[in-house]
Amino acid sequence: MSPEPETAPQALAGPWQQFICHACGYIYDEAEGDPDSGLAPGTRFADIPDDWSCPLCGVTKADFSLHVQPDLATLQRATPRPCTTSARAGVVVVGAGKAGWQVIENLRAQWPDEPITLVTACAGDVYEKPMLSVAMGRGIDNAALVQRSGTEAASHWRVRLLAHTRALHICTTSKTLRTTHGPVPYTQLVLAHGAQAALPPPLHPALCWRINHLQAYQRFVAALGERPRHVAIVGAGLIGCELANDLALAGHRISLIDLQDRPLGRWPADQAGAPLLAAWSGLPIDFIGAVRLQDLQRSGQQYRLLLDNGQALLADQVVAATGLVTPSALAASAGLAWDNGIAVDPQTMQTSVAGIYALGDCISVNGQASRFIEPIVRQARTLSAALVRASWAGQDLPLPTPYEARVAMVRVKTRSLPLTLQTPLVH
Amino acid sequence: MNPADLPPELADTPPLLLAMRQIAQGPLAAQVRAIDEGHYPRTLMQQLAAAGGMSAHLELPGQSADYGLAIRAMAEVSRVCGSSGFMMWCQAVCGLYLQASGTPALMGPVLQAHVQGQRLGGTGLSNPMKSFAQIESLLLRARPVDGGYKVSGTLPWVSNLGPDHYFGAIAALEGQDGQELMFLLRCDAPGVTLKACPSFSGMEGTGTYAVQLQDLHVGAEDVIAMPARALIGRIRAAFVLLQCGMAVGVTQGAIDSMWAVEAQLGHVNCFLDERPADLQAELDALTARVMTLAKTPFDTRDAFFVEVLDARAHGAELSLRAAQSALLHQGARGYLLSSEVQRRVRESHFVAIVTPAIKHLRKEMARLSAEEMPA
Repeated sequence: MSPEPETAPQALAGPWQQFICHACGYIYDEAEGDPDSGLAPGTRFADIPDDWSCPLCGVTKADFSLHVQPDLATLQRATPRPCTTSARAGVVVVGAGKAGWQVIENLRAQWPDEPITLVTACAGDVYEKPMLSVAMGRGIDNAALVQRSGTEAASHWRVRLLAHTRALHICTTSKTLRTTHGPVPYTQLVLAHGAQAALPPPLHPALCWRINHLQAYQRFVAALGERPRHVAIVGAGLIGCELANDLALAGHRISLIDLQDRPLGRWPADQAGAPLLAAWSGLPIDFIGAVRLQDLQRSGQQYRLLLDNGQALLADQVVAATGLVTPSALAASAGLAWDNGIAVDPQTMQTSVAGIYALGDCISVNGQASRFIEPIVRQARTLSAALVRASWAGQDLPLPTPYEARVAMVRVKTRSLPLTLQTPLVH
Repeated sequence: MNPADLPPELADTPPLLLAMRQIAQGPLAAQVRAIDEGHYPRTLMQQLAAAGGMSAHLELPGQSADYGLAIRAMAEVSRVCGSSGFMMWCQAVCGLYLQASGTPALMGPVLQAHVQGQRLGGTGLSNPMKSFAQIESLLLRARPVDGGYKVSGTLPWVSNLGPDHYFGAIAALEGQDGQELMFLLRCDAPGVTLKACPSFSGMEGTGTYAVQLQDLHVGAEDVIAMPARALIGRIRAAFVLLQCGMAVGVTQGAIDSMWAVEAQLGHVNCFLDERPADLQAELDALTARVMTLAKTPFDTRDAFFVEVLDARAHGAELSLRAAQSALLHQGARGYLLSSEVQRRVRESHFVAIVTPAIKHLRKEMARLSAEEMPA
């Protein structure tokens, strides 16, 4: 009979253990030993000579203690968060139109020290957008349209201005707005990026101007140059009529094209089309109604428009005034509720996501979008009051006055026959 | 591996990812340091390829393309070794070129050997991608000759190469303004010289060489696309999306290193401002975004591509922050030259500067999202 085989030392002494160096975090594993220092695999920590030193940092055996690998899940549950508060990111406003600057003005009045960042695709210049429809007839040049440069306004309101910067994505987890100039953290976010021109085919962005902001207007004026031109305007709504009137007063020849048989046809209650055409009788405006644009092509230095009544036009420039649509990608990236625009609560102008507010052309209240100037001031007032009240600074402030969508009068700046129309925003 | 034998938390994990994890945490983990310092892990790359790690995004017999899975496979490996994750991307996009080529020889036996890992390859599209984004001009020139083209020029660094490897490359066609030839460049062809690169700060084992061409003959059988623009337009989003696997993996590895010291150092680390749970939440949100984008990798709209570029930029920024934060969490032990934290800091730098680098991504997003107006 052979003797019992010797029991493995491991079984005698229990499972291999690990010991951690307090100085550098090196872990001595009994199973692996430290062959470089002459400790064979399987050398128990207790059997290590006292003059052994940590192979990484050189401290002695006395600086080691038993290491038990903690259970990660338990550790994660036990870790309080957040342990620290990083610097306040402050308010980030997207869009430097009327809505964006109005919110900044209101916020600054209530909140002198809050960091505010303005992210805008344009230069941030302050101007009155309605002026873009009357500037030419009045002989107002580009420089005079700008009331204050973006840089000046930013310095006045103590705002960090990120001009010529596109807002790309909202990361709600980390409360960060992602932009073409890097991530911008926010404590509260205000979306005031407006709407953009709707371009139903065959209108193509490379072939027609949209006078929806100052930069586009300036480039359009530069493209017109000094001489009288033939300009085709597609769409005879408010903007189309205002631009036609203004460009004609400035000496350009206009072809104004619309699906309806008269201008302002989508405002039938006001019956303004016929008087307007009569008032234009002395101006070089050719209204071509009840037609659809079928094709638009470049033709040498000009553009060729083909209408569905067979008529073809050659124009020096083409302007699309075919209405607005709200871009939805940014809102979708944050999962904001959408109802014909970014849905906001009129009590606070907050979107469906806490801490994200919106106003101006990009919002809807009860499914109704509003694309006029008048409501913006009232929206900004409600929004700023609600935003400050919801923050650390404003817990004791009174409830904001809710924003109310009202029937409003819209002035149509057709200088040959100034009109006032009722907004269709009626419930 | 029988899914029924797995612990419940792994039962939902696709077998490919379990296979990747097994290789990554086993044989790969043992070689990570050697790879960082210059060892090209040919056998491991072949093993990862044979397990399906670089071909989940391809349409193959009995397999439909799954970009999400391909990205997760690269993330699983990058979590342990950024260099290997990068080489998986090289091999994966090279496979994409072969499959998209429409050239029978490339789509048949060449692709088959490629998918199985018998042959390895890379991509030399860093320069053309920058050229198409109007950042630099094309470095290779092709001249039409009887039966093909003669190509000359030098590409400064191309990865996952070896003497018998190949890669997808693009050359400007002489005399045909604005036309490009895309072709499979075989490293062992006459006229091709691989030159060692100067030392990099990390990722030295990625088989990265400068490639010099002197009148390389490219026959019709090796043409991937002529002209190349349409194909590039079709695969550009897929190309960039696949890189997200590297970013996700390197970030996850950094977060792992933070948790590794939490028990000992949590009492001081809680004063740091980027904690592992916060970074993990941000990474999870980014991963979810990438997985959504990965469902439609061939959407050719600019708006979609901008989304992809931004997700890729977020991945680069996040891996930089996470690697930096891991260093702060580990303190002195993470400052040891031998520490994985040190290696990962360098890997995160690579994620941030490899084409498209953060600055390129932002420039391209600005270009593509600018409002178009009449000339």
